[in-house]
Amino acid sequence: MINKSITSRRFFLALVFQLALISSVPAQAIYTRLAGEMIVLQTIPVDPYDFLRGYSQTLRYDISRYETLEKLSGWDTLVQQTDLEKGEGLPTDTRFYVILESPLTAETKSFPPTAWKGVAVSLKLPENLPDNQIALEAKADSGWVSYGIETYYMPEDRREEINTAIANLQSDLPFVVEVKVNPQGHSVPVSLWIQGAEYRF
Amino acid sequence: MSDKFRYQLRQEAQKWQAEGLIDSQIYMEIAQRYQFAELEDNARNRFVMTLLGLGGVLLGLGVITLVAANWQLWSRSLRVIFLVSLFISSNTAGFYLWKSQRQGWQSFLGQTLLLFGALVLGANLGLMSQMFHLSGAVYQLYFVWGLGVLAMAYSLRMTSLGIFTTILLGIGYSLGIPELFRPGELSGLQLVIQQMPLLAVISLVPLAYWCSSRWIFGLGWILAVFSLEVNLVRQIFKFADISTLVVAVTAVMACTLVPALLWVYRGSLWKQNQAFDGIAQGLALAFLSILFYWLSFNFVWGDLETVITQLVWWDLLTFVDASIFAVFTVFAWIRFGKQGESRYWQISLSSTLVAASLIITGVLVWWHFVISEISVVAILGFNLLLFLLGLSLLRNAINLGRRSTFWNGIALLVLQLFTRMLEYNTGLVFKAVVLFICGVAIIIGGVWFERNKKV
Repeated sequence: MINKSITSRRFFLALVFQLALISSVPAQAIYTRLAGEMIVLQTIPVDPYDFLRGYSQTLRYDISRYETLEKLSGWDTLVQQTDLEKGEGLPTDTRFYVILESPLTAETKSFPPTAWKGVAVSLKLPENLPDNQIALEAKADSGWVSYGIETYYMPEDRREEINTAIANLQSDLPFVVEVKVNPQGHSVPVSLWIQGAEYRF
Repeated sequence: MSDKFRYQLRQEAQKWQAEGLIDSQIYMEIAQRYQFAELEDNARNRFVMTLLGLGGVLLGLGVITLVAANWQLWSRSLRVIFLVSLFISSNTAGFYLWKSQRQGWQSFLGQTLLLFGALVLGANLGLMSQMFHLSGAVYQLYFVWGLGVLAMAYSLRMTSLGIFTTILLGIGYSLGIPELFRPGELSGLQLVIQQMPLLAVISLVPLAYWCSSRWIFGLGWILAVFSLEVNLVRQIFKFADISTLVVAVTAVMACTLVPALLWVYRGSLWKQNQAFDGIAQGLALAFLSILFYWLSFNFVWGDLETVITQLVWWDLLTFVDASIFAVFTVFAWIRFGKQGESRYWQISLSSTLVAASLIITGVLVWWHFVISEISVVAILGFNLLLFLLGLSLLRNAINLGRRSTFWNGIALLVLQLFTRMLEYNTGLVFKAVVLFICGVAIIIGGVWFERNKKV
């Protein structure tokens, strides 16, 4: 039956295509997890519900705020390079890089880990950074700067516990996120550190 | 011959034999002819099948519950293995069941499994993005999902998958519309949203012919038309402060392009059969009804409020698909008039009426934007067009004996009367009179139609 075998081939082609789609979704994230370097970011949380993918925590970082980035070196140059209508600030969707520096105590890993600090911004991916620095790709959104690591999904039954932990935080206690960054500056969130406890899903 | 009949016949035959109506010889012949002996076997088989089915459902429920109970406890890799193997096995099992027999319960079960496989594809995509904490927009997930199911629908020529992919693309598009109004650079999936009119036609119309599915054809065109209108309306607001000419051209296109195209749409343009030509015309009429109804309101003709002022280069891309549709429309009208044996270009009375109302629409809209504001004339004009459209639907319904068309026409006229009554502040007595007239008209119209329809 020639006809039947053609149908089978067509079916398996479509199936392989669908499998390729499935694996294309996390491909970059897996690469980043394997090849990336771990950094730590200071957060500010917000909290909605994404019904297709279950419960999630929306994260904002210290470096998500324009006020933080405006103080870094290279900001004025970046605005000059991108701001076409003068005085408007950074145009929405501009991609740039934030250079972070590891805290001085990084040689001995502390628990909970200490957040990295922003030191500079740049329009191009910087080369030959010192070992204690890393470049993180950023995108200018309206009101915030986003890094593609703003969502952390968690099981429904643990969510209450984590939200309570976040709510109980005193403002000066650390709530930080461990993030892997690959050489191209792409990043994936790995775990949350709240009050010395690590949450990883 | 049903088992039930044979079962009853056996009872009756046994009674006849007992009463001496027939002798045992004749009873044996009847028993032979209607195969009474098989009855017990059949009953036992059916019983076994029912038990198997029931057991299967309970087993399935058990597995689902077990998975749901342990889902949170499983490690990431275990979940991935489970979902991917569920995806592959339901698709493969479904495919072989469906292929083994094109009729009967195996085929039905196979189709159900394939449809389930399409749902599992979505679950896989969603879970993958969740497990790696990706923060991309949800509409992107629907597009990727729709693309996967589209490939399977083409490969198996399966209507249910085709309808499913159309719905997925529709959901993805609806969720993604806000992206069109966001300033900034254009990403690949934003381009998909912007070019949805063309993409919907290119991907779904051939699929509709391939599967001979009226549903895919209708839904696919609705998606194309809806996205085209979103693009054009957005363009009108974008250019409101910049160029009156562009606004006028876009507004005329937004009003006339879709009905003009769908009215003359023929499958023969793509060397396909004419099965769906009627649906296209129906969609054209539905579009005209909605358009005339909308434009007959007073508030529509107020001043344009500019929503977006910042113009970027990719705004011009929306003109590309509108232009392609326009060129195709002109080509289709030329071909449309040359059908039949006549050497001259000619069209039927109803097509002439549609063409005339489209030209009037175009002129009114153009005039309003370019020459001078003619709100009152335009509102009167579109009310008249709406009224005439309702009447011609009635006329067609009577000529062709189509009950649904008749009720569409009546509904359009009554809706128009009601809306105008509510829109303009009228007295209670007047409202009562209008209600009374509408009620009587519907009853008389309906009865008259049933008596007089020609077919």
